[in-house]
Amino acid sequence: MLSVKNLYARVEEKAILKGVELTVNAGEVHAIMGPNGSGKSTLANIIAGRPDYEVTAGSIELNGKDLLGLAPEERAAEGIFLAFQYPVEIPGVSNTYFLRAALNNIRKHRGEPELSMSAFMKHIRSKAELMEIDPSLLSRSVNEGFSGGEKKRNEIFQMAVLEPTLCVLDETDSGLDIDALKIVANGVNALRGPGRAIVVVTHYQRLLNYIVPDFVHILMEGRVVKSGGKELALELEDRGYGFVEEELAAHA
Amino acid sequence: MIDLATRPSRLLTNFDEVRSILSALGPESLDEVRFKAFARFKDAGIPTQKDEEFKYISLRILEEGHFGPAYGATVERSQLAKVPLGELDAITLAFVNGQYAPELSTADLLPPGAFIGTLADAIEQSGPEALASLGKVATLEGKLGKQNDERFVDLNTAYLGEGVYVRLEDSVILDRPIHVLWLSTADHGPFAAHPRTLAILGRGSRANLIESYIGLAGTYFTNAVSEIVLGDGAILEHTKFQYEGSEAVHIATVAVTQEGNSTYTSNNLNFGGKTVRNDINVWLNGEHTETWLNGAAVGLGDQVIDNHTRIDHAKPNCHSFETYKTILGDRAHGVFNGKIFVYLDAQKTDAKQTNQAILLSRTAEFDTKPQLEIFADDVKCTHGATVGQLRDDALFYLRARGVPKQEAEALLVYAFAAEVLEKISVAAARESVEKLLFEKLRSKELSEEPTRG
Repeated sequence: MLSVKNLYARVEEKAILKGVELTVNAGEVHAIMGPNGSGKSTLANIIAGRPDYEVTAGSIELNGKDLLGLAPEERAAEGIFLAFQYPVEIPGVSNTYFLRAALNNIRKHRGEPELSMSAFMKHIRSKAELMEIDPSLLSRSVNEGFSGGEKKRNEIFQMAVLEPTLCVLDETDSGLDIDALKIVANGVNALRGPGRAIVVVTHYQRLLNYIVPDFVHILMEGRVVKSGGKELALELEDRGYGFVEEELAAHA
Repeated sequence: MIDLATRPSRLLTNFDEVRSILSALGPESLDEVRFKAFARFKDAGIPTQKDEEFKYISLRILEEGHFGPAYGATVERSQLAKVPLGELDAITLAFVNGQYAPELSTADLLPPGAFIGTLADAIEQSGPEALASLGKVATLEGKLGKQNDERFVDLNTAYLGEGVYVRLEDSVILDRPIHVLWLSTADHGPFAAHPRTLAILGRGSRANLIESYIGLAGTYFTNAVSEIVLGDGAILEHTKFQYEGSEAVHIATVAVTQEGNSTYTSNNLNFGGKTVRNDINVWLNGEHTETWLNGAAVGLGDQVIDNHTRIDHAKPNCHSFETYKTILGDRAHGVFNGKIFVYLDAQKTDAKQTNQAILLSRTAEFDTKPQLEIFADDVKCTHGATVGQLRDDALFYLRARGVPKQEAEALLVYAFAAEVLEKISVAAARESVEKLLFEKLRSKELSEEPTRG
């Protein structure tokens, strides 16, 4: 589904990604772990099309389609969803209005008719229930005055509403208490399915107790330096990133 | 100052042409008022950018524009359906090119103690003393300020011929909004019109007044003056909706006097016109008043929108709240000048002023000048100004969810202005204005791609 090849990217003059390779197939859950500054969030944001980064080499394809030439909204329409590490507060824009505009644009791209207001409301109410979101939040401005946990839940709620094919979660666990973490994980797990892939970017193993990955990749200094199964995350938790560095040094 | 003696503007030469026609309204004494106002304007001349109060707006067009006397024109009712607020359900007084248009107005049964009609009707019903307050409100005489400039009020008074009179006796509550519709269609060359409104609300009365200035065609100059008096405890919401034609010059002065315990809300909305100047002056003449000055403006193309407000806190214990929002794209130029005078006696004044602008292009310009002059020592006055662009992070957030760029930008700009538009309490008017804003924004590529160094 997702194929990242030899990806190099920089922000201003600083090189961040230095040859990332990543293949994600439909139905799989991948975790990308790594120390601070390794480039995990950069990778997540580049997949979604954030304009702050400049890709200098390599490619990203979704189901064989080149993503790098596409605007963020076109990528969303192709089925990409990025759950933000820092969801943005947008006073004056209601959650419901904005989600309807997003969903209808995505449906249009897929050649599906727009949802009627009542069908849309029914759709979002069922997803709000899944994410244990207070329906009154729906009519409020996007993320405005939401607590940290509410913002993260709102991200996964939006993901559930938009039903993307590739979900990228950028440190969704940061700042969550254990109850909120479980709700978020339940929401993500409910979206697991044969037609969909999930990429979880995280610093800690904790989230992976609840969203169990099929594959774990370690990103360091802008490259995937080690890949393995879910046990790799546990090993990291035990031994820290130091052992990976030592292994790399031994190979050098 | 442009020397009018050597290069007479049409704004001066028109006077001799129309003097005798103007005299038809009001007593002889009013003729004298006109003549004196004309003499003052002639002495002062058309302001240039060397005049402090007009520093950011070029009015050269008034010099060169050949704005002749206003002439009659016909607007079909069907045309009203096409303009925002054109068919607002309200007590409506319509004017075309400054002349009363009864065929576009409504005949309403008003509660006892309410008069809403033309100045001419007012004189016919109540005699010339009905207009005794004319010119008494729109004056800065004896008020603070070193650069007080009233020449456009003088120009309006010089050409005072037609206008609106609203009078509510004490305790009259008018639930239905009043809509004064000033339509302009310059299909026979440029003209100047000088609309005048006088609204006097008695003690404890309440009304909702909407003034719309709407352009249908051509180049013209609207020079409006509205004078408003709020008696003790009176409440007025006053929405001024400016949607003049794209070649029009619009200059307007709104002068308000508030007696004690009264509440005045101004919604100053500017969407049209090429060269636009508003002066909103509020004189607080009693204690415990509340004043809300809200402003929203969208400038695109080469529009210049220059908003000046002044609040004279002349009495203690008065509260004023001011929020102005300006959206500028292309090469548009916006100005906000907010004066707050707190007089020596006006202890416990609470005045809050904010003004924000969003620039959608690198060539748009915004000048902001808060001006607080405080002579009392126990007061609370705050002001804040921000000028910025659309937030990149918010834009990316919306787009990453699937909202197309153009729509996402429109949504963000719309959200920026929403705080002000929400203050329009007449739902149908608010919805029309919101729709206009959204359409205006959606029709346009708003932001420029960031350049990479």
